[in-house]
Amino acid sequence: MATVATCGSGAGSPGSMVAAGSKNNVTSFQRRGPKASGSDSSYSRLVSIPGTRPSVRNGQLLVSTGLPALDQLLGGGLAVGTVLLIEEDKYNIYSSLLFKYFLAEGIINGHTLLVASAKEDPADILQELPAPLLDDNGKKDFDEDMRNIKTSDSNIKMKIAWRYQLLPQMEAGPVSSSRFGHYYDASKKMPQELIEASKWHGFFSPEKSSSTLNIEPCSLTHGYIKLLQFIQNIIYEEGFDGSNPQRKQENILRIGIQNLGSPLWGDDVCCTENCDDSHSLTKFLYVLRGLLRTSLSACIITMPTHLIQNKAIIARVTNLSDTVVGLESFIGSDRETNPLYKDYHGLIHIRQIPRLNNLIYDVSNVKDLAFKLKRKLFTIETDLGYSSI
Amino acid sequence: VTPSEGARDEPGRELEMESVLALRGLVLLRDSVEWEGRSLLKALIRKAALGGEQVHILGCEVSEEEFREGFDSSISSRLVYHDLFRDPLNWSRTGEALPGGPLGALQAMCKRAGPGPVTMALDSLSWLLLRLPCAALCQALCALGRQHACPGGGPAVEPVRVLGLLHGELHGPGPQGALSSLAQAEVTLSGTAGQASAHILCRRPRQRPSHETLWFSILPDLSLDLQGGPPLERHPVPHLPLVDPTTHLTFNLHLSKREREAKDSLTLPFQFSSEKQQALLRSGPGQAAGHIFYEPDAYDDLDPEDPDDDLDV
Repeated sequence: MATVATCGSGAGSPGSMVAAGSKNNVTSFQRRGPKASGSDSSYSRLVSIPGTRPSVRNGQLLVSTGLPALDQLLGGGLAVGTVLLIEEDKYNIYSSLLFKYFLAEGIINGHTLLVASAKEDPADILQELPAPLLDDNGKKDFDEDMRNIKTSDSNIKMKIAWRYQLLPQMEAGPVSSSRFGHYYDASKKMPQELIEASKWHGFFSPEKSSSTLNIEPCSLTHGYIKLLQFIQNIIYEEGFDGSNPQRKQENILRIGIQNLGSPLWGDDVCCTENCDDSHSLTKFLYVLRGLLRTSLSACIITMPTHLIQNKAIIARVTNLSDTVVGLESFIGSDRETNPLYKDYHGLIHIRQIPRLNNLIYDVSNVKDLAFKLKRKLFTIETDLGYSSI
Repeated sequence: VTPSEGARDEPGRELEMESVLALRGLVLLRDSVEWEGRSLLKALIRKAALGGEQVHILGCEVSEEEFREGFDSSISSRLVYHDLFRDPLNWSRTGEALPGGPLGALQAMCKRAGPGPVTMALDSLSWLLLRLPCAALCQALCALGRQHACPGGGPAVEPVRVLGLLHGELHGPGPQGALSSLAQAEVTLSGTAGQASAHILCRRPRQRPSHETLWFSILPDLSLDLQGGPPLERHPVPHLPLVDPTTHLTFNLHLSKREREAKDSLTLPFQFSSEKQQALLRSGPGQAAGHIFYEPDAYDDLDPEDPDDDLDV
């Protein structure tokens, strides 16, 4: 699959394409340029969007979530046209990190970004994105981190199954052949020139909805209506829904919505149990999913579900999203002192995985997953404790 | 508490309290019926005023005279008081009352603040929360911090601190959770044995939140006196013992020293070590120890047409 490998490679600059092509001289199939010749079907045209690859199971077009460990758990990546909902941890530390990884992955791959937030200015969010670990010096740091992980954890050398000792504890590594997912250094910021070279749209809720102060008696909260109109405009104007056949190079729109459902959006689902607009959030998700399914976009939403008082709404929200991942950090809870969890920073729960053009779920076998944020790496591992606790 | 211990702790505690109070953004003061928070609010206002900041106060629960009690005249003249207590619904229409209701009052407070560091005190947030929709109040509080920061669209230079007094018993978990998710710091008042304590939770962005418990008392001139705690142990004993999953098992997971040594020295069959290599090499020309005697008995089937005969094994 040399064709898929080369078109999945990184920033899409012509230099890297040529270099990759010359390395693969072992095959008799030579690629002439970044795009396959026009006689191919539209399937291969879609595959050549940088930063995407078809799923190995059902051919669904996938984009990376920015965290290769999470990509593996979701069955290869996030499907284009779906929503990834992240249930925030209590102090919103790790969920905002996952949000930033998603956006940083979009910048590296050259996707268009749409960032919506009610708390922070989207320009400030983009300044805080983590820097990517590049191949040459990145691999060294990555190996060093992996060695640290291995030496600290595996003090017991395996004697009988010694061949398993040589396998890394985490399966993914910066594989050089296909650059689908990238690694990021959470301690450094993304270089300014990459941010400026990227195309992004920001939606900052207080600015957009400050024009009308009176609350209109309609079913959706005012902030949500504005956001949906904004997203719809961007999709239509930039041609992500295929309505503009003049566009030559197709691209993915990565939408990031932060803290959806918090009172800053004007929604009181987090404040009371019987709220006036109890269907506002669910209607928003329904309309959003309709917009996403008809366009080449992928969306990440972080939601403070620990604040939502009415549990039925959480169940509805889960049903209306495609992929749901819950983060539970150990900060402040009594699990922090539990010796079983001492290596980890929190638990990660995969609550739902979508069935897209499929009859069965693509669920991984492992149910107890924990994450830890090392110096540069966010790793997800099976927690080796006893699941009854 | 011995005096020396108190003296040793004080400089460190002063610094901690200072760093906590230097936080910008929303600071929630949660009090309860037993431990009231208005005096702590006044103490913080006094500290801010002494530090040269502008102080704006939105008074809703008590009258202006009662609130200004305890401040000496120099500080009291520096406080800018917006009074919502006397005429909250603007019935007198004399033009003194603040238009726009409580939300309008909040916005007006922000507009009147000039350049420089500003501290705004809301006495109390509970009063506002009971009269305004929670979502609107949260949006207004966030806007307070932002609006002053960039009036002309420039980068945020002047930090704004908003001190809000919240009565814990008046609200359910929903509004309290919503407000604490917005707050940069939460100070929960409690205490034991006549000594008030403040449990401070600081949420710094992108960092782990830090907890701190400080014991204090407010002196009559509204200055904060940080003290060591009451003569009980400071850190509560963890009442949950650490879980050891290897207890109560029906099999033995532990090895004695001799057993461990024996285990380590055991050579496994698939390990190719130098001893094994020697043993294999030695047994080649020897052939003395390994003779196999075979006597077929009645049940053995010696098939003359064994298909494996022609294999050169």
